[in-house]
Amino acid sequence: MESKKRAAKGPNQRLRQRTAILIIIILVLGFGAALGRLSFLTLVQGSELQEKAVGQQLKDTTIPAKRGSIFDVNGKVLAESASVWQVVMAPINFKTDEQREAVAKGLSEILELQYENVLEKTRQESYYVVVKRKIEVEQRDKIIEFMEEIEKKYKCGNVLQLLDDYKRYYPKDDLASCVIGFAGSDEQGLEGVEYQYDEYLSGTPGRMVTATNARGTNMPFSFEQNIESKDGDNVYLTIDETVQSICEKYMKQGIINNNVLNRGVCIAMDVNTGAIIACVTVDGYNLNDPYSLPDDVKEEIEELPKDDQAEAEGLALAAMWRNKAITDTYMPGSVFKICTASMALEEGKVNDNTNFVCGGSVTFGNDIIHCHARGGHGNQTFVQAICNSCNPAFIQIGQLVGIEKFREYYQGFGFSEKTGIDLPGEAEDNFWEEGTMSEVDFAVASFGQNFSITPIQMITATAAVANGGYVLQPYVVSKITDAQGNVVKNVERKVKRQVISKATSDKMNEILAYNTETAGATSGYVTGYKIAGKTGTSEKVGAGEVKSIFNEDYIASFCGYAPADDPQIAMLVFFDTPSAGSYYGSQVSSPVFINIMTEVLPYLEIKTSYSDDELAYIDVSAGDYTGLSVSDAQEAAEKDGFTTSVKGSGEKVIAQIPTVSSKISTGGNIVLYTDEDSKSELVKVPDLVGMSASEVNYTAATYDLNVSFSGAVSSGGISSSQDIPEGTEVSPGTVISVSFTGSSATFND
Amino acid sequence: MAPNKRMILKADVNRIYDEEYSEQKIRQEKYFIRPSRKKKAKKAGWFAIGMGIDFPFCIILMILLTIGTIMMFSASYAFSYYTQGNSYYYLWRQLIFIGLGIVGMIVMSFFNYNKLHKIAPIVLGIAYFALVLVLILPSNGVKRWIPLGMFNIQPSEIAKFAVILFFAHWASKYYNKMQLARYSVLPGVLVFGTIAALLFLEPHYSGIVIIAMLTVLMLYIGGMKAKYLLIGGAAMVGVVLLLAITGGLSYAMSRMDGWGQALIYTDEDMWQTTWQTRNSLYAIGSGGLWGLGLGQSRQKYLYLPEPQNDFIFAIVVEELGLIGATMVLLIFALLVWRGITLSLRAKDKFGKLLGIGLTSQIGIQVVLNILVITDWLPNTGISLPFFSYGGSSLIMLLAQMGIILSISRTANIERQ
Repeated sequence: MESKKRAAKGPNQRLRQRTAILIIIILVLGFGAALGRLSFLTLVQGSELQEKAVGQQLKDTTIPAKRGSIFDVNGKVLAESASVWQVVMAPINFKTDEQREAVAKGLSEILELQYENVLEKTRQESYYVVVKRKIEVEQRDKIIEFMEEIEKKYKCGNVLQLLDDYKRYYPKDDLASCVIGFAGSDEQGLEGVEYQYDEYLSGTPGRMVTATNARGTNMPFSFEQNIESKDGDNVYLTIDETVQSICEKYMKQGIINNNVLNRGVCIAMDVNTGAIIACVTVDGYNLNDPYSLPDDVKEEIEELPKDDQAEAEGLALAAMWRNKAITDTYMPGSVFKICTASMALEEGKVNDNTNFVCGGSVTFGNDIIHCHARGGHGNQTFVQAICNSCNPAFIQIGQLVGIEKFREYYQGFGFSEKTGIDLPGEAEDNFWEEGTMSEVDFAVASFGQNFSITPIQMITATAAVANGGYVLQPYVVSKITDAQGNVVKNVERKVKRQVISKATSDKMNEILAYNTETAGATSGYVTGYKIAGKTGTSEKVGAGEVKSIFNEDYIASFCGYAPADDPQIAMLVFFDTPSAGSYYGSQVSSPVFINIMTEVLPYLEIKTSYSDDELAYIDVSAGDYTGLSVSDAQEAAEKDGFTTSVKGSGEKVIAQIPTVSSKISTGGNIVLYTDEDSKSELVKVPDLVGMSASEVNYTAATYDLNVSFSGAVSSGGISSSQDIPEGTEVSPGTVISVSFTGSSATFND
Repeated sequence: MAPNKRMILKADVNRIYDEEYSEQKIRQEKYFIRPSRKKKAKKAGWFAIGMGIDFPFCIILMILLTIGTIMMFSASYAFSYYTQGNSYYYLWRQLIFIGLGIVGMIVMSFFNYNKLHKIAPIVLGIAYFALVLVLILPSNGVKRWIPLGMFNIQPSEIAKFAVILFFAHWASKYYNKMQLARYSVLPGVLVFGTIAALLFLEPHYSGIVIIAMLTVLMLYIGGMKAKYLLIGGAAMVGVVLLLAITGGLSYAMSRMDGWGQALIYTDEDMWQTTWQTRNSLYAIGSGGLWGLGLGQSRQKYLYLPEPQNDFIFAIVVEELGLIGATMVLLIFALLVWRGITLSLRAKDKFGKLLGIGLTSQIGIQVVLNILVITDWLPNTGISLPFFSYGGSSLIMLLAQMGIILSISRTANIERQ
């Protein structure tokens, strides 16, 4: 009965039960476990796993950003980047040696590389080997062709890739090299503005996040994410390319003329804003090839033992790249008297007529300080003391100011701090610590010796004297715009402090202008402009071995500004260790200053202000009087302000000297020729040197010659040279250029 | 009476095998089946006309096959491109296999599965033959496939079917004796032991695991005493332990090396060994809740080796996310559920056992496959039904689905 019952409900029932258990095991336990595990992996561990997956899937390629350009103040390009390419190889994709050899051969031919070197690269087990960087369009096109060719022939087009690259060009080569600086092979700024503003110029490199397969090549299907690169900002300098090149032209000339051994510096600054209009360190270097040294330096290095060459080359390069204007310090010498005089005036310790006595030297215990005028300047007023650049007088002026005030003003003029100019590597001054300055130290310091400052500090202080006492922060970058032209940054004038009053500033302008006017060419005289300036000749005390031909090495400098009655531009010119002719600032630097200013001031459209004297000697252009009858020609010439002399017996003027448009001085003589015979008449050029302007005029007129004046004509200057030598036979009426220098034979340094 | 006669005869045939069937039951079935068939013929169109295959099961199957094929294509796309130079290589071949498989399925669905009853021992014999043949055939390394022109045949696939078929045949024939050890444990041990031994020589450990599971499953639903199951389970653990100690399990152990440590770097060899599993985990993790989108898998780009095979579900998760994976699993579960329930309604024991066995096999493979790709089981090579690329297994699988459909013709679920 029992077994029957069991049989009745048995098998089917049991099958159902067991099937239910089976379903529970498979569907509930099995599927449940699978689902649970999947949930854990996706939801709990998901982000962690995804991160790892992405880590292996994504190839992050940097897209270089185009580096911003550098422009001068007028938008002329000084540095720009051009698109070039780089050839990259994935040698791991090579399958046969035949492929390797073919590619190495092709690449070495197209890219002008060594076959063996390329072949070696093809054997590397790598996805990324740079074959050559910065290739230009022609080579790129050949590479593209070559890639197609090898794909067709060897089925290995995937081993090569062209990537964007940029190359930096400096269209002006060495112009303003110390300011612009240069960028390295990876477009990173290494020197100058390129370094200082690298953050702006470099832009933000983009990223090409490419999904790659496990072989590292791009997936054949579109799967990439580009973060566009942001091109670098453009930097506009305060440098004016024209002014800069004028400065460089004359500075280079000055280096050659004076055989300057240790480079020269010229800084031109807008006195009202602190903007640097030109900043020259000569000799500079070619920005397009910053790693090549001048030949003479190279030879010197080659003579060294092999082991020392690399180090010597490194040092030579560093020296070449140095921006002497801000990285090196020098003793300012007499130029510093501008500051000493200003503080004495500001403190009310002196006035125009304060009397100083110079006996030729001052004695402090065992130390004797000489004046450059060994016989002494005798009695002199404050103004005269400045014009004489008398050291004993300035020792007295310094003492009137007092050592504490002197230090205060020294700091006030900004010598004790970096100017904060936006260029790298600015040096600090070297001055006495407080309380360590002895009486002699102070005495010497008052005329700018035995402490050193940077040229940029000197020009900044001079600008402060000129502009009403405001110490400004000098700067070379005026604005920064992004690639679309939107202004990112605008640099405004930044006043640090006012160190002297407007009245003192005006007084100094007057005194320094007077100094230039009286000293003429030795002190920066430029016809048509009121220049305020001061020369300086500093001894390079303690600089070690004397290198120049003189018994000591000197720095010849000149610092001045114009126009003196409304200062606009200040300029410091200095040559380190001149070794030919003269070492005086008045003779080495002042002429360079004059030459530069003569070109720069008209270019900058600074208003001229001729004195009456100057007006008399202004050159004018001769008109055209040929073809007229003699009487008509005379009338016309006289109308133009010329005198005439007629040669020959013809009725009509057939020629004239000076010819049309020639520059002659106002009131010059036009020689009118009326027949052929008369043209053969010649006169001998007289000696016109060593005369005053009126004497020159008179002498020339007696010889029927014309003169054109240059230099310090008006302030009692003496003619120093003539362009056509004495005794030369020339036609009557010929224009002879005569240069004038200051009246005094002493060089007021 | 004439139409019924045939049915009685058919039932009588069954009775020879299934002594549990009573006259009364036969009459009941007569009563049940005939009107329902007529009714179906009028109501349900193509599927019902003279056929009566289970419509929902068929639909679920087709859905799975469609999703599986799409995912196989997506997963193989990149791999195919890199290895065959043509992204569609695997897709076309798979479509051909599916075509052949569906033909096989339709043929099998018309085939009276009762005929399998008689030939079950023969099929087992064929399986043995194939298992031996694969060992004899020259091959380097692992001997799992018999090359057969366009595709290869895995003897273990035949063996799996043979085992299900044989035990369905055996248990239905000796259903009331199955409680006796000599009718259940003995054939079980014999059949499994011999097959396992042959698979061991290939070697194909995951095959052994599945054969073992299928044997136990078939014997269990076939009526074996539960205590033997426990004893058998204990014995199997013992054997595995013994093999492990003697070192005969070296290959499996080497495959098990790094099991569960795919994400931990110990040394380079291990890192390479666990490469596939690790990238499977990366793929699954990348999928997150919503997935990267269909076709958007990144891991299929040569990171996950052979993504169209055993590890295809990792790509499914990566592309369709946990949501998509859950849907797929649900459809699988539905298929298993439907397959088992329809099999339970088969009119004879043999059909029930065969149907449950074939359906369960799918469920087991799905679960094992997912546990493998998620690093909970060693990487032993268990494919995902309807998803993984593979000729012989897919055709076999579809043919087996045909058998289930054939069984469903006799089942009587939801016929009203």
